Amino acid sequence: MIEVDGLTLIYGRGEAAVPAVAGLSMAVDSYELVSVVGPSGCGKTTLLFALDGLLTPTAGKIRIHGEEVRGVRRDVALILQDAGLLPWKTVRANAELALRVQGRKESATRVLADLGLAGFERRFPSELSEGMKRRVGIARALALQPRVMLMDEPTANLDSITREHIQNLILGLWWEMGFTGVLVTHDMEEAVFLGKRILVLSGRPARVVEVLDNPGMGEPGYRGTPEFMERVAHLRQVLGGNGP
Amino acid sequence: MILRYLVAMVVITAVWAGVSWLLEVVRGRQILPAPWDTAIAAGETLSVLATAFGTSALRFLIALAVAFALGLPLGLAVGFERKLDRYLSPLIYLLYPMPPVALLLFLYLAFGLGEVVRLVVVVMALFFQVVVAAQGAAKYVVPSHITAVRSAGATRWQIYRHVVLPATLPSVLTAARVSVGLGITMLYIAETKLGVLLGPGAGLGRFIEYYTFRGDIALAGVVGLALLGLLFYVVLELLERVLCRWKFVGARGGT
Repeated sequence: MIEVDGLTLIYGRGEAAVPAVAGLSMAVDSYELVSVVGPSGCGKTTLLFALDGLLTPTAGKIRIHGEEVRGVRRDVALILQDAGLLPWKTVRANAELALRVQGRKESATRVLADLGLAGFERRFPSELSEGMKRRVGIARALALQPRVMLMDEPTANLDSITREHIQNLILGLWWEMGFTGVLVTHDMEEAVFLGKRILVLSGRPARVVEVLDNPGMGEPGYRGTPEFMERVAHLRQVLGGNGP
Repeated sequence: MILRYLVAMVVITAVWAGVSWLLEVVRGRQILPAPWDTAIAAGETLSVLATAFGTSALRFLIALAVAFALGLPLGLAVGFERKLDRYLSPLIYLLYPMPPVALLLFLYLAFGLGEVVRLVVVVMALFFQVVVAAQGAAKYVVPSHITAVRSAGATRWQIYRHVVLPATLPSVLTAARVSVGLGITMLYIAETKLGVLLGPGAGLGRFIEYYTFRGDIALAGVVGLALLGLLFYVVLELLERVLCRWKFVGARGGT
């Protein structure tokens, strides 16, 4: 369970201060997958970094499983935009990076195999396709067996086939592992495909302007249904309102 | 690669022979000993020359190691920690262009004429090269790489170990490779100016100085210096290929 109460984040001080998030409140139930959409540069990533404990709120509180977030938590994993792989580490070393940083001895062999990366353990990121890189980034988070999964645009800049593939993968993992998830995206179809609820943020500084329920999410073949299309169209209207 | 170096050596030897011959014709006497004269001279003094080469190589190796051991942590910290950057960068940039040679007298007074002072001169030259290269590279570490380890709960030390050091190593090693030339020059100066009382085996610089009036032998020492530079250049390149293997896999043309 994630609770955010009156979260405010301001970059810089004095005259140069830029508010990124202003008085944002939200809640994510345990085992719920929520997507967050908003205009680009609205502070979505800032929100996610604050949830991960990487940024200290200027005001307001974040609680995960009832405990206030002060710094990085070991039961929370973050999947970075463009995967954030370290080019000097092999696939295996990248997948086990978070484990090793935390002083854990487990291996990522199983997770890598589950994500179809068996046999690539000794390759470097520069030798992988874009989709494989994203899967390594996901493997790194999964290896931690986290209770909370934070995802920052996990399919940005992918071709549409690979994108759907990764989206299906995330949905499958959520079913299987039952983590509590927050997925930030600017892709409206992705938001509807992967969000049991969809939070719509305002432009900078970010606040929640709408919460869209999405009960059909996760059902087989949801992507093609009128229900799905309708929600995508709705989001497009809300977000397109102030023009691209 | 080895073939290309051999070709280069043949070309240089040919040019050298040509220049030597030309000078002799124009000035009416031998000015620059020919390659074969030098080779014969090298053969005559082989054991002394080998000792001088070994001494210089060891001296350069120690200086390089010390310069890395001191310069790398400092450069990385100054480049990566904003506060240190603000306060220490002006200091570094003031000291960086100052040639240690200009301070020889003071170095001599401070350290005497022993082995230490010769090392200090070479270390000073290489140290700033390493510091400046490490600082420059550490400034441009990709933020998402840092976020990747920070979000796992990395300590400051772990950020350096997993991200800052490996990210900057290729450019630091390249800078070190480029600095070999400067380092060899400094080594020569240290060994000639600060080695006056020593025998010819006390380093290539001293060897060249000792045989000032035997051009052919002195020139053999100069060739020794060139080979010493080449040796370290190659060693640093191999080191980069081993330590930064990831830099060289892209060339394999993977998908």
